Amino acid sequence: MNMTIRFLRPFARCLVPYTFPRKRSNLYSTVVQRYMSSKVPSLSCPNKGSASPPEQLELDGWKATMKSSVQEDGVSEVLDKDEESLAATRELIEMWRLLGKEVPEHITEEELKTLMECPSKSAKKKYLRYLYCKKKKKKARQIKKEMKAEAREEAKRARLLETTGEQQRDFMFLRLWDRQMNIAMGWKGVQAMQFGQPLVFDMAYDNYMKQSELQNTVSQLLESEGWNRRNVDPFHIYFCNLKIDSAYHRELVRRYGEKWDKLLLTATEKSPVDLFPKDSIIYLTADSPNRMTTFKHDKIYIIGSLVDKNAQTGISLAKAKRLNLATECLPLDKYLQWEVGNKNLTLDQMIRILLCLKNTGSWEEALKFVPKRKHTGYLEVSEHSQELFMKLKKIKTLSSFQKGSLNVRTWKR
Amino acid sequence: MTFYLSGFRSFPKLWKSNPYFELGPATSSASFFLTVHCVIENQQRWFSVKPATPPNSKTLNLQVTKAKTHKKVNDSDKQVSSDPHYFAAGAAKKRSLISSNLQNLGHALPVRSTVQLPTKPLNSEEWDKLKEDFKGKASFEDFIISQMARSCSSVDVAKSLLAWVAAKNNGVVGYNLLVKYLYLCVFHKQTSEVIDVYEIMKAKYKSLESGGYTLLIRGLIHSDRWRETLLLLEDIKKVMVPSKKNYGDCIEGALLHQDVNMAWSLYQELIGHNLIPLLETLKAFFDYGKDINDDHYSNQLLDILLYLKNNQLYPGESFAHSIKTWFESIPGRQWKGEFTTIQKSGQCSNCGRTIESIHLSPEEYEFLKEKIMRDVIDGGDQYKKTTPQELKKFESFVNSCPPFDIVIDGLNVAKMFPKSRESQNLLRVVSQLAQQNLQLLVLGRKHMLRPSSQWRKDEMEQVKKQAHCFFADNISEDDPFLLYATLNSGNHCKFITKDLLRDHKACLPDARTQRLFFKWQQGHQLAIMKGFQKSKLTFQHILSYDTVVQTTGDSWHIPYDEDLVQRTSCEVPTKWLCLQRKTPAPC
Repeated sequence: MNMTIRFLRPFARCLVPYTFPRKRSNLYSTVVQRYMSSKVPSLSCPNKGSASPPEQLELDGWKATMKSSVQEDGVSEVLDKDEESLAATRELIEMWRLLGKEVPEHITEEELKTLMECPSKSAKKKYLRYLYCKKKKKKARQIKKEMKAEAREEAKRARLLETTGEQQRDFMFLRLWDRQMNIAMGWKGVQAMQFGQPLVFDMAYDNYMKQSELQNTVSQLLESEGWNRRNVDPFHIYFCNLKIDSAYHRELVRRYGEKWDKLLLTATEKSPVDLFPKDSIIYLTADSPNRMTTFKHDKIYIIGSLVDKNAQTGISLAKAKRLNLATECLPLDKYLQWEVGNKNLTLDQMIRILLCLKNTGSWEEALKFVPKRKHTGYLEVSEHSQELFMKLKKIKTLSSFQKGSLNVRTWKR
Repeated sequence: MTFYLSGFRSFPKLWKSNPYFELGPATSSASFFLTVHCVIENQQRWFSVKPATPPNSKTLNLQVTKAKTHKKVNDSDKQVSSDPHYFAAGAAKKRSLISSNLQNLGHALPVRSTVQLPTKPLNSEEWDKLKEDFKGKASFEDFIISQMARSCSSVDVAKSLLAWVAAKNNGVVGYNLLVKYLYLCVFHKQTSEVIDVYEIMKAKYKSLESGGYTLLIRGLIHSDRWRETLLLLEDIKKVMVPSKKNYGDCIEGALLHQDVNMAWSLYQELIGHNLIPLLETLKAFFDYGKDINDDHYSNQLLDILLYLKNNQLYPGESFAHSIKTWFESIPGRQWKGEFTTIQKSGQCSNCGRTIESIHLSPEEYEFLKEKIMRDVIDGGDQYKKTTPQELKKFESFVNSCPPFDIVIDGLNVAKMFPKSRESQNLLRVVSQLAQQNLQLLVLGRKHMLRPSSQWRKDEMEQVKKQAHCFFADNISEDDPFLLYATLNSGNHCKFITKDLLRDHKACLPDARTQRLFFKWQQGHQLAIMKGFQKSKLTFQHILSYDTVVQTTGDSWHIPYDEDLVQRTSCEVPTKWLCLQRKTPAPC
């Protein structure tokens, strides 16, 4: 035993930071204990009979009560096969829930049908997890809403007590800000329709996407449109290749509701090649070999509205190649120290970057919309600092003491 | 590194020598324990198969040390002596070790602090006290039993926990606790406890979920009530396809209780679901086969071997031993088995027979060529990898040239030695091959023609003089062209690249075509050995034989995986089991 403890000591040192401070006192004993308990099976199994507990604990009593507890029984016997498997699935989900797996508490008929259509076991599990998260979020929102309502009530009551003394005050405007804003944005939108620079969303990708991806795409389109509307100088947005009654169209109409027909953008079944001269079109795709240097105000940029979770590379590049269009990609590598993640950005990030470029023309400003988690910083800055760092390092390595400390650092890593 | 672990784990004696591994079991997850358990179990079975050789442990120790020294050799970068072929098991790992000098694994194991797990049953006051000490997110009972399952506490301790919980909750124990308890019972092979839990579950719940069923099946196959596992299997089938483990357990149960027909019908069902059976399951059939002499049964075993052949599966080491033992146990036939290797010429070192050739049959060849053209190059959208114009140009170019002997992936070869100029590398390879009077084709991209610091114009001119060249667009992929040009030139044509071409293999639609592609690749891919820069060009040698289970009627050759060697999917085993019938001695 002595030997093992000595061996464990170095580990224990690096364990300490991960443990709760409260546990520090009995840490050694814990580790040793665990070590022993891990060896228990091989030791205690053979002589299990002789090593019965000395206090004679009542160990099997619970079994009798468990067995005697009656199972609730309320299912009719006559079920056809489909219903039977549906019922069995329901029970399976219930048992999984008891086991603490991530499955929803209640499941509707429709969701159950979708679940049964999932082709594989892992697809089923994924779908259940999705439902679970959805339900959880909904519940959290509900609770928040109730709390807010309560707080509002409280505030109202307090105000009622306060404002007993009525007094007339002079205002310049009525409180109609939201409507004013909408109207103003509408004006700008109309102007953009007439004189704005076109920006095309290419919708020809619906058969590359699954339903969930398509829904994500539509969400991103909605958000992009919203960002565009609020801008000082909006684009004139085109939804090209949008076939009436395609999955895309149906989803868009469903999400926008009656607003769809009043949107200040052009939705068309035509391809961008039919609408604009070919040589003024630039297809934006991350796979492009050409890097975008400046934003050109006389060009028509196309963004493929595609959420690609399958990582099928080169779809939009292939499309641009087929139509013989110029392609460009954002100069992400030039300006950013890329760290993780795909170079593909979401549609709303793209439109914000383009809007920013259009108004200011500065890449640093525009690339602020690239998610921070994907890069560690702007490159020019880091390049300078890197040079500085190298210089410093050179000086440092001259003195042996510093060298030693450097070594320590690398070793730690 | 993991093969070390398994090696050490299966020998508790060795645990003491290494503090690093001692912590392992307590921290690894429950599922991991099952595998460890299996390893140990296999080992035991292995012993029972070959009781005549006592120094098993010694051989295994030897193997461990062998693996160790092997690694050392790698580290010092001195391996040239043994030269496995490019697709040999473990070759990729070795390559990666050489290229990136192996770093020691980080030794900070993530160990979470826990409540002290009791080692003996506690009474309720003690449990109460322990609960007071515990403050965590999860519920105490849940947490503690998970920890127990993880560190495999004895059943009695867990039972006392359940008794305490039941006493608190009016005799009701939650399903999650029950399942974890069941896991412990199954792990410790306490069949009577398993049956008790089974009764409880049957009484309490109408149906269970897959995890519970799996554990029950695994626990019940050793008991007399093993037939009820089949009912449990039926219950699983109502909702989903049972896993291969479920089937494997049921089959094992049937074999344990001498119900051979049931085992075979379950096996058929398993195959019918397109599941690939666990090798343990197949091994169980062979192990059982030793004791019966039945032509029907042995034919079915031979069917299993053919299944291995068709699906390019390789048995593990212990499975190979089982196969050998079974063959040798057939009375009257006098099979003799040897563990051996195959010589470079494709002859078995033991019997001298020639192993099946790596070359595809003409039909297979045509089939593969068409599939590559349709799925890899075209792939439903010609613009993805190339353009139709380019494709047409390439096709007419290939057809206008004589069949090539060697197709070279120009960019891959050029970038092989980063220290020298890329065009220089290419020229050196091309001129060395051209001296042997071979028809060469160099595939590249257009940017190679543009003079730059890496690509000198005069050198490219010389390359063009010595070989046919085709330059694709800069945004086109060159590998599909490489594949097509090689396939189009015929069976004698080889190609040079270090790329393992896995992404192109993945474009192929089904497993059978992928296997064909892999077989063709093994026979036709030349990989340049490092270190050639100064000396002559040398290639990793090409296999002339196919590594697959095969028979000639009175002999079987079965490649198998060694326990201590890791093999990736693009490599093949190097060890073989050679079985042959002794010809009756001439009188």
